[in-house]
Amino acid sequence: MQLRKRSTIAVLLVLALSLMVCSSAFAADKVIKIGVLFPLTGPAAVSGQNCVNSVLAAADVINKANPDINAPLAAKVGLLDGYKIEIVKADHQGKPDVAKSEAERLYNQEKVFAVIGSYNSSATKPASAVAERAKKIFMCGCSSSAALTERDYKYFFRHAPTDAIESKEFVEYIEYLNKEKNAGIKTLGLIYENTEFGKHAAEEAHKAAKHTGLKVVADVPFNNGATNLNSEVQTLKAANPDAVFGAALGGDYSLWVRTMKQVNWLPKIAINYCTGYQNPAVQKELAGDGDHFMGGMGYSPELAKKFMPEAIKIEAKYYTPRSNQPFDSDSIQEAVMLFVLAQAIEKAGSLDTEKVAQILRTEEFPSVMSLSGTVKFEPGGQNIHALSVITQIKDLDYKTVFPIKYQKAQPVFPMTPWDKR
Amino acid sequence: MFKNKADKLWYGFIAVAFILPFVPGVIGGSFFGHVATMILLYAAMAQSWNIISGYCGQTSFGHSVFFGIGAYGAALAVVNFNSLPWYGAPLGMLAAAVVSVIISYPCFKLKGHYFAIATFAIVEIFNRLFMIWDTIGGALGLDYPILPDGWVNFSWSDTKNGYYLGALAIFILVFSVVRWIERHRMGYYLRAVREGQETAESLGVNSTVVKLSAMALSASLAALCGAFFAQYNYRVDPPMVMSLDMSMKFVLITILGGLGTFWGPFLGALVLIPLQEYTRAYLSHLGAGVDLMIFGLIIIIVMIKQPLGIMGLIRYFTKKKNVKREGDA
Amino acid sequence: MSNFVQVLIDGILSGLLYALVAAGLSMMWGVMDVINFAHGEFLMVAMYLCYWIGEILGIDPLFSWIAGGIFLFLIGALTYRLIIKNSLGKAAMAPLLATFGLSMLLKNFCMNRFTPNFRLLSGTIMEGKTFQFAGAIVSVPQLVTAIFSLAVLLGVYWLIKKTRVGWAIQATAMDKEAAELMGIDTENIYLLVFGIGGACVGVAGGLMTTYLAVHPEVGGLFSLIAFVVVALGGFGSIPGALFAALLIGLVESFAGFYIAAVVKYVAVFAIYLVVIMIRPKGLFGW
Repeated sequence: MQLRKRSTIAVLLVLALSLMVCSSAFAADKVIKIGVLFPLTGPAAVSGQNCVNSVLAAADVINKANPDINAPLAAKVGLLDGYKIEIVKADHQGKPDVAKSEAERLYNQEKVFAVIGSYNSSATKPASAVAERAKKIFMCGCSSSAALTERDYKYFFRHAPTDAIESKEFVEYIEYLNKEKNAGIKTLGLIYENTEFGKHAAEEAHKAAKHTGLKVVADVPFNNGATNLNSEVQTLKAANPDAVFGAALGGDYSLWVRTMKQVNWLPKIAINYCTGYQNPAVQKELAGDGDHFMGGMGYSPELAKKFMPEAIKIEAKYYTPRSNQPFDSDSIQEAVMLFVLAQAIEKAGSLDTEKVAQILRTEEFPSVMSLSGTVKFEPGGQNIHALSVITQIKDLDYKTVFPIKYQKAQPVFPMTPWDKR
Repeated sequence: MFKNKADKLWYGFIAVAFILPFVPGVIGGSFFGHVATMILLYAAMAQSWNIISGYCGQTSFGHSVFFGIGAYGAALAVVNFNSLPWYGAPLGMLAAAVVSVIISYPCFKLKGHYFAIATFAIVEIFNRLFMIWDTIGGALGLDYPILPDGWVNFSWSDTKNGYYLGALAIFILVFSVVRWIERHRMGYYLRAVREGQETAESLGVNSTVVKLSAMALSASLAALCGAFFAQYNYRVDPPMVMSLDMSMKFVLITILGGLGTFWGPFLGALVLIPLQEYTRAYLSHLGAGVDLMIFGLIIIIVMIKQPLGIMGLIRYFTKKKNVKREGDA
Repeated sequence: MSNFVQVLIDGILSGLLYALVAAGLSMMWGVMDVINFAHGEFLMVAMYLCYWIGEILGIDPLFSWIAGGIFLFLIGALTYRLIIKNSLGKAAMAPLLATFGLSMLLKNFCMNRFTPNFRLLSGTIMEGKTFQFAGAIVSVPQLVTAIFSLAVLLGVYWLIKKTRVGWAIQATAMDKEAAELMGIDTENIYLLVFGIGGACVGVAGGLMTTYLAVHPEVGGLFSLIAFVVVALGGFGSIPGALFAALLIGLVESFAGFYIAAVVKYVAVFAIYLVVIMIRPKGLFGW
């Protein structure tokens, strides 16, 4: 009696174990692990979490059958032969040393095929250095520092226009306004957070301004997280530039806007690099005060309606339920990078890093979430079809004002003074 | 050579630590290799802080300045001068020692919390000044180019063995310095100043020279650790190294392990570093910041329950055991 | 000239704000010799509270600051009872490090629950209102905050100097054992001091929601400035804290405009070092 009971249990155990082994082997077979490395805590956590949600949305489009979405790899389930993408999250807390060790952990321990990251350029640098040394692929959506693609890396690919490209565009817009509308913009002021991001953007602004004879009369770096921006805005007001380029993240952006309101000063035109201006949540908090500011963006709901309708579908189906807001132009680019990577893997037909990297370096990829519609990388990793437009916000609506091809509305120029709002 | 139990423990530990990278699969490219290297590095950092704060009683929150100077020393050599970190690191150590003496001399006039706040102020000043000092990188920082692996460049990409052995060497250096201090007159002077500066002076101890020497020594060793940090992370910028956060690490690890004790800094690192690394790696899915919340909670509990740190716990239990033994006889 | 007046007024107003934030810290330090590392996070908690009260209940910060004060009084008292009491006197840095742990806990708790998003109230009564004075523009929310700050500081000063409770506090600060021998319940005094300290920063936080965005990291720089203000003024001295805060506010404002905005905090910390070298116990310290 005892023997039968014991042997039954033994048999059942063996069966259960083998089932577990089989099913895990089953599961393990058809999974492509992709790491996402973003600041999930710390000062940039808002954007980091949006970036992760973007990638998750893209993964859902690829993994599930989405016949209603007209995008590569959307209709079928997964890619290659029934492989599904598994996203492995990692938090670098905004610290470059953590980014470096998390990148290593993702590649070596989690055995991810590639990493998408890392928002802060200062974190993207060491993380992608790890990838390059290990000969692994690193996809970067929205880090803006031009230095990232000036390193001659072979495994690094970046979607966003650099702060160099954006600076040129801002200056071109000013030239256009001067020529076509007699705007008379001669002087430029810069206000930026004194970090890697802000400093590099300011340097590019200086270079671009020099080319067109725009005179920089105020160069105001500020300490991010400052208790007030009184001195900074005072300095701007005293110099009274016609145009201001700004690089301030979230909370500092709203403090800057409110402080300018307080001292009753505005430039004729204010254009922002990718920052607090582009964050719909920040603009919602600012309400009417944020109106008439401008910024460089690769995405806005209005642009999407005309040029990227599939993005709107993806947003409604998989992004807004996760993040309670529409796509913003920073984080959407991370989703694009997953799409591009997946297409490259599909084309390579296998998970051979060298093959996939070679395809990434040479091919052109259709992209339903990119304004220009395609993505192609030049040597060094920069996307040569990177496109951003200048938008102006009014009543929480980002209206495109430049380039003319994409223009939806006439700009309000000069910015309506505070007492006339 | 093995005079007593303490010696046996020390040499035994070094032997074991040295063998680890040669055991296949233990260090290599593993996450454990990263954690082990960080334990050794942070233990060395904490021990360097222990010299001035534990043994000499001057609690400084400014050590990240010296750490940062060392990091910049190494990084500048590699990035700006196309040279080797082996030249930059000693220069950084020297610079840190000089800076430490210059800023400590006036600060030692201050007592208690005033001194502590002054060290905060110094970190903030250095941080912001380095952020606008464009010649050495400013806010952009210094990024390492990709160089051939090996001891010459002190850089490896596929295995942590080299870094581990480097960190072990620094660990042995710093801990040996402290061993020497404990057994020689310097240690007595330090402790005399810590226990009562006026009394020590009345006995002929020049407390200013003692404090400044301890500070210079402490700063240069912290700078050496900083140089390693820059090499390990392929990058340096002011918020990475010259921040209050980094200063607090020096403080927390030492106090958690046991201020003013020999093994304290190591024990503190042994507990805090894996905690920090593993909670971030494996608990961050629980939601943003949960790992840091747990970290904060643990610090609170330790400070309430056993502020003398792990060494305090160990001594408490061994005392109980000894008392019991005496009672039995 | 109008630039000068503007910079002067800005400096005075932000100095008064710093004074309110630092007043509570000065008491904690003076009576118990404790540096509360979580002071900036207390500020953050008060700001979140009044933000949510404004956002959900629609009550303007001009009134909800009372809630900020009361809630932070409780938090302060709780911090004393659970954390400070059990770490005092045991080892040199224990209360300081314990409050450091508390600051990590509070900051990340708020980040976890409220997301890291920056939150700013719109449509408040005082929002954006300004008036002209001597060629400079004065912000009404900041002016109101400064007036409140003066009122609270005067109130606390009067409490300490003119009431029995205040004398008991002073006695406890001077000599704990002697005070106990005189029949003063020092335990309650400590509780009260931490509570009042919390309440001060709670009021400050509540009023600041009128013009500053809340987010988990907002307390960081305020903490550091509060430490410097208290040390500069001399611990335990309310007039010292006021004077030092004004000095710091003015240095920040003038350095920020006439030298460069990016070094305004360098100037603040440098001024601290300069003054403290001349007077190692702070301006009014004893």
